[in-house]
Amino acid sequence: MPYHTFKCSECIPERTKHAVIKGPGEDLTSCLPLGYLNTIPGSISERGCAYCGAKHVIGTPMKDVIHLSHGPIGCTYDTWQTKRYISDNDNFQIKYTFATDMREKHIVFGAEKLLKQNIIEAFKAFPKIKRMTIYQTCASALIGDDIDAVAQAVMEAMPDVDIFVCNSPGFAGPSQSGGHHKINIAWINQKVGTFEPKITSDHVINYVGEYNIQGDQEVMADYFQRMGIQLLSTFTGNGSYDDLRGMHMAHLNVLECARSAEYICNELRKRYGIPRLDIDGFGFKPLSESLLKVGLFFGLEKEAQAIIDEETARWKPELDWYARRLKGVKVCLWPGGSKLWHWAHALHEEMGVEIVSVYTKFGHQGDMEKGIARCEEGALAIDDPNELEGIEAMKTLKPDIIFTGVRPGEVAKKLRVQYLNAHAYHNGPYKGFEGWVRFARDIYNAVYSPIHQLSGVDISKDEIPTDTGFLTQALLSNVNIGQDETSPSEERPYTGDYDCVSKLRGKTYPKLERQPIGMG
Amino acid sequence: MEDRIEQLVDYIMKWCLWQFNSRAWDRKDQNEGVLTKTMQLLCEEPVALETPADRCYWVDAMLLARNFKNTYAWLATMDKKDIKLLMQGLKDRIDYLTITGSLNRELTDPIY
Repeated sequence: MPYHTFKCSECIPERTKHAVIKGPGEDLTSCLPLGYLNTIPGSISERGCAYCGAKHVIGTPMKDVIHLSHGPIGCTYDTWQTKRYISDNDNFQIKYTFATDMREKHIVFGAEKLLKQNIIEAFKAFPKIKRMTIYQTCASALIGDDIDAVAQAVMEAMPDVDIFVCNSPGFAGPSQSGGHHKINIAWINQKVGTFEPKITSDHVINYVGEYNIQGDQEVMADYFQRMGIQLLSTFTGNGSYDDLRGMHMAHLNVLECARSAEYICNELRKRYGIPRLDIDGFGFKPLSESLLKVGLFFGLEKEAQAIIDEETARWKPELDWYARRLKGVKVCLWPGGSKLWHWAHALHEEMGVEIVSVYTKFGHQGDMEKGIARCEEGALAIDDPNELEGIEAMKTLKPDIIFTGVRPGEVAKKLRVQYLNAHAYHNGPYKGFEGWVRFARDIYNAVYSPIHQLSGVDISKDEIPTDTGFLTQALLSNVNIGQDETSPSEERPYTGDYDCVSKLRGKTYPKLERQPIGMG
Repeated sequence: MEDRIEQLVDYIMKWCLWQFNSRAWDRKDQNEGVLTKTMQLLCEEPVALETPADRCYWVDAMLLARNFKNTYAWLATMDKKDIKLLMQGLKDRIDYLTITGSLNRELTDPIY
């Protein structure tokens, strides 16, 4: 087994089985780290808690809902300043955040009365919002407040409101992934099947495991609707509470982030017979094939192909412009759970970058299987890394750029390694054909930033050349283009709009006639 | 034959997701469903589309068969008998890598 021991973790021997190097001839039967285990004491993990995984990843992207944490106010920290799951209703779900503000006296005397007051107060403050989710926290779980009973009492007193309760306190799992699981199962147990949605098409899908980061969901929804498909619900980005209660009426579950939402897909398959189709929304080839698969399922292959042809003609020359300049750039692909496998091979094939390392903070072994399978030989794969391991890997591998979260990203900056936000993006959306070009542009801007180059000069000791001018991005990036290699005339850098999402809102789509399902 | 199987394995591992559902029984169904239908498409045999699950296997098989044909020119030189042998070898190898030889400890978890 090609385990890798970090020097900084020699004092934590259990960490050895959490990192592997994919050597020549290695496959998944010989090269897979442990995963989804409790963080080892002494290892300062970058993970989040199970409450965070339930609320801040999956619950809160629902747009027409008051999201209330029953706990200390600090538990609601992640909101508009850190999260970018936008919505087409003026971002209600991230503009406002709610907590019951539990304090010491509530720990002693109980906080159910406080919770009830808060629920009623929140509904009164926002009278147009009739839906609420309530999240248990460590504090309210430990004192045993019966949140379900309080929610039920309020629903009886206010018949026009509906409340969902998620019992996923921070300690209820090794990481945020435990919370993903809990809220998936809680939603299908409590809410799916309690609302009958209007079905307007012969082709109806739930889009599952999609969180509308900077508009990803709206880009994909546009494609589906152009194909003549009814997007019944999205679990959960830009999703509506009542639509998600009607998930049982779809014909197909299209699953994007299997890490966070395969549970509800599997349950919908088991309980309602709705099949699960896994897709990749990132990268021209994976996205094209994903649209084709959904199209084939419904007999809409021609409609899917028309979108692929149009989008590829518009955006491929711009992707190629960046790919020519990004060839050989060394990347550490260090996201939270699923993007290591969504991105690893598509980035390598379509932008020419080299993935020298993948890691996952909260992924399971299944995510590592996908990620390692999609990496080239020599990649270092790490499960649940600690900060010192990340620093050691950066010093050893010397990547040009890291795709990760804000916190490890700031550590990378201190080592003068550029970073892009893999969770919330820099200038997303990154899904869709245009989105993939925007991602390429962000990588280009980071790797060839003139300011980044200048930041490596220490004016207190380095000699500053006075006979050379300021190096622009173009001067820096074109060094990598061969002398005899000229760009085809149609290749160009990104020409899209600063905001490529808002214009999709309010767009109308042609209603397609019912089509016979073919076998192709 | 082994070299050709490894080329197909590499393609599946790099571009597909259907082989990585989270439980062993699910992977077994997925591998059987998708690869059997891929073989039928490559051998121009009828494909059953009786259930929604069949359609899901079929759409993945459609893409896989197309990509195999476009990527590996040697496939066009094989007769149907050899294609069946090739696809059986591929299924055995994928079953080994994702199920019987897998190091993933969650595969046998009785619940999702």
